[in-house]
Amino acid sequence: MELILSAAIGVLSASGIWLLLRPRTFQVIIGLALLSYAVNLFIFSMGRLTVGVPPIMPKGGFVDPTRYADPLPQALVLTAIVISFATTALFLVVMMASRGMTGTDHVDGKDKD
Amino acid sequence: MIAAQHLVIAPVIIPFIAGALTLLYDERQRRAKLGVSLVSTVLLLVVSIELMSRTKGAGLTGQGGEIAFYLLGDWTAPFGITLVLDRLAAMMLMLVALLAIPALIYSAAGWHKQGQHFHALFQFLLMGLNGAFLTGDLFNLFVFFEVLLAASYGLVLHGSGQVRVRNGLHYIAINLAASLLFLIGVSMIYGVTGTLNMAHLSKLVALLPESELPLFRTGAALLGLAFLVKAGIWPLSFWLPGTYMAASAPAAAMFAMMTKVGIYVILRLSMLTFGVAAGPSAGFGAEVLVAAGIATVIFGVLGTLASQGLGRMTAYQVLVSSGTLLTVIGLALMGGGEKMLGGALFYLVSSTLATGALFLLIEPMSRGEGGIAAILALTADAYGLDQPEDDGAPEMGLAIPATLTVLGLSFAACLLVLAGLPPLSGFIGKVAILSGLLHNPALPPMLGWGFLALLVFAGFATLIGLVRIGIQTFWAAEGPPPKVLALEFAPVLMLIAMICLMTLKGQDTLRYMEDTAQSLLNPAIYANGVLTAPSVEEEAARQEEGTAQ
Amino acid sequence: MIEQNLLLILVLLPFLGAIAAATLPVNAHNAAAWLSGLTMAGGLVILAGFYAPISHGQVIHSVVQWVPAIGLNLGFRIDGFAWLFVTLVLSIGILVVLYARYYLAKNDPVPRFYSFLMAFTGAMLGVLLSGNILMLVVFWELTSIFSFLLIGYWHGNPNARDGARTALVITAGGGVCLLASMLLLGQIVGSYDLDVVLASGDIIRAHPTYLAVMVLFLIGAFTKSAQFPFHFWLPGAMAAPTPVSAFLHSATMVKAGVFLLVRFSPVLGGTDIWFYVVTGTGIVTLIMGAVIALFRHDLKGLLAYSTISHLGLITALAGIGGSAAILAAIFHIVNHAVFKASLFMAAGIIDHETGTRDMRRLSGLIRMMPITGALAIVAASAMAGVPLLNGFISKEMFFAEAVDWHNGTWLDNALPWLATFASIFAVAYSARFIMSVFFGPAPVDLPRTPHEPPHWMRRPVELLVLICLIVGIVPDQTLGPVLNAALGSVMGLGTPHYDIAVWHGFNQPLIMSLLALVVGALLYALTGRWVARGPEGPPLLHMIRAQKIYEWLMLRLSWKWPRVVHGRISTEKLQPQLRILVLLSLAVGFTALWNSGFIGPRAKWNAPNLAFGLMWTVGAACAIAAAWQAKYHRFAALVLLGGAGTVTCITFAWFSAPDLAATQLLVEIVTTVLLLLGLRWLPRRRSEIMADRLLPARIRRGWDLVVAVVAGTGLAAIAYAVMTRPLVPNIGDWFLRNAYYEGGGTNTVNVILVDFRAFDTFGEITVLAIVGLTVFALLRRFRPAPESVAAPEQQKGSTSKMLSNYLFVASVIMKYMFPVLIVVAADLFFRGHDLPGGGFSAGVTVATALLLQYLATNVKWIEARITVLPIRWMGFGLLIAGATGMGAWAFGYPFLTAHARYIDLPLIGKTPAATALIFDLGVFALVVGATVLMLIAIAHQSLRAARMRETDDDTKPDAKKEPA
Repeated sequence: MELILSAAIGVLSASGIWLLLRPRTFQVIIGLALLSYAVNLFIFSMGRLTVGVPPIMPKGGFVDPTRYADPLPQALVLTAIVISFATTALFLVVMMASRGMTGTDHVDGKDKD
Repeated sequence: MIAAQHLVIAPVIIPFIAGALTLLYDERQRRAKLGVSLVSTVLLLVVSIELMSRTKGAGLTGQGGEIAFYLLGDWTAPFGITLVLDRLAAMMLMLVALLAIPALIYSAAGWHKQGQHFHALFQFLLMGLNGAFLTGDLFNLFVFFEVLLAASYGLVLHGSGQVRVRNGLHYIAINLAASLLFLIGVSMIYGVTGTLNMAHLSKLVALLPESELPLFRTGAALLGLAFLVKAGIWPLSFWLPGTYMAASAPAAAMFAMMTKVGIYVILRLSMLTFGVAAGPSAGFGAEVLVAAGIATVIFGVLGTLASQGLGRMTAYQVLVSSGTLLTVIGLALMGGGEKMLGGALFYLVSSTLATGALFLLIEPMSRGEGGIAAILALTADAYGLDQPEDDGAPEMGLAIPATLTVLGLSFAACLLVLAGLPPLSGFIGKVAILSGLLHNPALPPMLGWGFLALLVFAGFATLIGLVRIGIQTFWAAEGPPPKVLALEFAPVLMLIAMICLMTLKGQDTLRYMEDTAQSLLNPAIYANGVLTAPSVEEEAARQEEGTAQ
Repeated sequence: MIEQNLLLILVLLPFLGAIAAATLPVNAHNAAAWLSGLTMAGGLVILAGFYAPISHGQVIHSVVQWVPAIGLNLGFRIDGFAWLFVTLVLSIGILVVLYARYYLAKNDPVPRFYSFLMAFTGAMLGVLLSGNILMLVVFWELTSIFSFLLIGYWHGNPNARDGARTALVITAGGGVCLLASMLLLGQIVGSYDLDVVLASGDIIRAHPTYLAVMVLFLIGAFTKSAQFPFHFWLPGAMAAPTPVSAFLHSATMVKAGVFLLVRFSPVLGGTDIWFYVVTGTGIVTLIMGAVIALFRHDLKGLLAYSTISHLGLITALAGIGGSAAILAAIFHIVNHAVFKASLFMAAGIIDHETGTRDMRRLSGLIRMMPITGALAIVAASAMAGVPLLNGFISKEMFFAEAVDWHNGTWLDNALPWLATFASIFAVAYSARFIMSVFFGPAPVDLPRTPHEPPHWMRRPVELLVLICLIVGIVPDQTLGPVLNAALGSVMGLGTPHYDIAVWHGFNQPLIMSLLALVVGALLYALTGRWVARGPEGPPLLHMIRAQKIYEWLMLRLSWKWPRVVHGRISTEKLQPQLRILVLLSLAVGFTALWNSGFIGPRAKWNAPNLAFGLMWTVGAACAIAAAWQAKYHRFAALVLLGGAGTVTCITFAWFSAPDLAATQLLVEIVTTVLLLLGLRWLPRRRSEIMADRLLPARIRRGWDLVVAVVAGTGLAAIAYAVMTRPLVPNIGDWFLRNAYYEGGGTNTVNVILVDFRAFDTFGEITVLAIVGLTVFALLRRFRPAPESVAAPEQQKGSTSKMLSNYLFVASVIMKYMFPVLIVVAADLFFRGHDLPGGGFSAGVTVATALLLQYLATNVKWIEARITVLPIRWMGFGLLIAGATGMGAWAFGYPFLTAHARYIDLPLIGKTPAATALIFDLGVFALVVGATVLMLIAIAHQSLRAARMRETDDDTKPDAKKEPA
């Protein structure tokens, strides 16, 4: 499992980074989205992998932390998801505006290559 | 006393509430929004003064007597989020407020009409800055960084237009990438150490087993890189000049603070986690900081000399200042001692004020006749815009006499500070750093000499560059002097007044800075304080015990 | 005590005068002059009071603490030398003020002039009186700054601007070096107190950094006193108004340098290297100045170079050292100040009355202005060193020093010859000054008809010339005591007393003087005409002008080369910057990981699961395909992105993170919709961009591919390394334990979000709000590119009727989805604290519901029925969240302290009703507001485009008509 997940993180981030370095705004935005997936998975993986033990407590009774998934990374990822959603939306609009004002979708606002 | 204890979080709450309130007003009621905004900013200043006087205390007690803690949700560290108010934090809060009031007043001269929701964004920016300075939790730091970055995106784009959008795009793209780095770094640190609390972290670092160190350091390094982007080191700062120039004047003035956030965090974290107490990791990254800082100073100087406009020059001055500070932080990690570090903090404040003032001066200085309306219209079409929806003519405040004289004097003051020439605060800061460095046996003398040469050279180059601009603007210019509103002068003069005050009160200010540096150099005080700070419930329990016995 | 205060007043007085003068009206000539004159007179009175103690070798101190932390204090001290110098400065200052009163034109703004002049005087006094070497630097730089302002007084004239700038750059640069040397001195001696420094010469000379200190110090002094090779700023400074030149180049600015040399020669001097450097430079400057002066046609130019030459003489003396030489130096400082000031004033008068300063046009002026002529002739003779004038005596002393044996080096032995050679030229240029201006035929076609100036304009010159005579005839009775006092204060105890006589007998120095007089006179007599015909400067030397070299260098050093280098090491493009960022993070990561122990202990290891593997093969394929397609097939890329997102989402669910799965899914949907809406505004791209085929583009892509793969592998490796480590004891456990008991909820993640770490959420919603606002603000100004205004294909050629029942079935379904979704949202919201869900997911759901309505029907329809004011929602949302947080204060708890219990709600049943729920309500409202705001703002653009289309259709016909 660990192997697969880390491979997945690798692939996601690699394709994200490749897109990040491309000249068209849309490529960059897709790249950022892919990267944020990768990073979310990465954060998540920092809590190690556990199957079938969501951090939902019984009402009352003794709690053995080792029997549950580490909730903190999940909480962090939740925040991260929301924030990256927001920033993606922002970047999208800036992309639209730039396209509208400069007449091109090149990241530098001019078609040089 | 409840209120007093809750004052620590006020710097975050006040702008938050103010920002939220401005959302309830209609776009047309700008004066109301301005009012709310002003009230909150002034409140911030008052609060920050109070907090600073609180942190002063009487010398260092070693018990962290001057450090105030605030356990959010009443959860004790390291589990909950803790706000920590020490000398450094208080100082930065003060600086934010001091910069914010003039910027806001300046915006009232017309800039705040150039787009939607200026005041909300401005307030949220303040919230983000203050939060970043106060928080003692890594991930919470990330959140506040996002707050202030998002607000800064908004402010860069404020007024829209081609130039702003193009630069904004670069700015946002790079900072998003940096934020991802930030996340990776934080999560790695959590994965290895199992904590997010800075104080807890500084305790754990020394205890990390050999096998975990590489991963931990990688995390720390990636985190550091993210902050270095904000601090604008070479070669990660090419976006900065363009962005700062494109931003509207008040926003740019606030941006003089933005790089300092990066500096602040680097200072805070490196002192906490890689200070003398960090065992095997002590002094990690010091060389990198020094090298990067020096490179940045050189880059900034080259930029200053190479640029034609005052705006670009000022932006490069921002780089020079952060380069200097980074170098000093690196040297401090090598054992530079509190005198040097204190001088650096002094320099930080004065250079921030000066760059802020310059950003506000750019537009009046480069303005022909016609006043604010003309310039706004001009920016409007220069930036390829249809005329902004205009509610009433811009406030034509009284255009004050002897414009050129006042402009000239203000410009000269900023020049002196940035070039580190006497008699203003820039000179004091520079001398404090250098004498602290030279009188310190802990560092190799060559390093001190080299840095001395660098600073002296940087100051001289700054002088040459800025004098060039000054002569062009004030001596070689034909035509009638520009019309400048009192609303635009007052802020600049305020900042200059601050600088003069710092200069006159040099001794007290420097003493405060040195004590701050001292407390930074013994992170144990901070860490122990955070980890032992009692929650309200614990307090209550303890008191009951007390009464029982 | 009184004396201390008087000393402070002495320094402050001019600055106060400057401030006062600045407030005067623009044309208050008399008032300003009186003010300045009286201020300086006041200073002189104080000095008179000091004379008694000073002449007994007493030193008066006075210290005001400024920044003791770095040893920077306003410490002042006055001793014999300082006293003499300050008296000189102030006396000449008064005369200059008087002169300037008549020199300045009616329309010159006087307040600026006088306030700068006073401030400059103050700075100069500061240099002379500082008892703290850092303060000395402070005042030193102030003199540079104010002289800059004075030289640039007539800034309408480009020469004035350049002259001022050159002066500033050179002297301030020197000041910077001086600062460095003073810091080092302070480090060596352990104090910045001048007395301490002066007392510890031996330590300093023995210190390893002595050489560096000396060099930096000398650069400072030489730049100020215009020594070769820094001399060129001085002639440039002649663009200043003549009173300024008379002040700066006689008694003040340039003399500050030699003052420092004399003051420190007992400390730094006495070594061979000092002798070579200082005396050598002095002699070179002496000769060069004298030679060039002879060849200048401009009166002030001649005087400027003669000034340089005389400064060289003083420098040489300071280099020789020893009490006799120092005495000579001090004496010559005074004499030169006196005759040079009068000469400048005379030149100014001539310029003022005739309108030119060119000696080739001037001649025979003695007829028109006999008195001025006589005065100038006497002063010039003093400059030439004619007996019975003050210049003669100090020059004699210099010759005597030149003749004396000091250290037998070649330079020492060559001194007499060099000195004589120089003074031959001195005589020659003085002769030229006299002959060409005042004698010969009457002048022709001068701009003005010359005549005597107003009396008061001439008085200063008369007074100064009188002093030249008196001092020249009875030196010992006039200046003797003062000079000895000064000498004593410089050289310290046990200095012999000198009596200064006119007649020393028929000795070698006298011979040298006479020789110089005779040969100099001959030289001028023979070459005068030829020189007048020649170029501005010596025959060949005038080709290489230091000024030109300086400008050439400055232009390159401060402008061209930085531009080139800067261009090399920076970029405006985005891609390189991002590339650098990625590469740097790679570098950083790998260097930190390098020393191994990287993989570390491997503890846990879940057996790989086939389904999961297959799922991620698809996911990976999606990601790669998206990367591949993003440029030309955006829609496809978007779908593929969605695929990757879904797989991620499932992964979360798989590894027991239901909340993440839910949120990710919702966010996924909204993001996709946003991107879809945005897609429409991008340029259509069907044909491939040519440049992409070319080699450079291919190489770039390949290179980026490598970078990306390496980075990806790195991240994967790190993730793997961490995942396979044993779980360190972390703060997560604590959350699990306390979620129910403390936080009052069973869904730990949600409890963390709204209680334990609610402050994060607090910030997070703020981010959302900010972004919403920014999007809104930006789209208010959105201008679609013309090509994207055109209607999308689907609508082409379709009437509004057809549009209305476009996607009919789907729209009906979507309409009825609305209530369902609302209920779902409510459920998500309330169960949040115990089961996956919460304010955020609920908010996004509602937003989606609204969005569906937008898609289902046209915007007008929906907005006629449901009116959402997103910004209000946001405002209230934030306020609710904030208020909940502050509510805790009422109970004496910190911000965001939650209070939890369960209550029975009808229908919904047992519900966790923590105060956190209210906080979550705020989150909900904010999320709805922000999301809807963004979605609608973007959706509205289509409307705007439609409107633009209509307007275009309206305008087109008119456009057609117009030509007809």
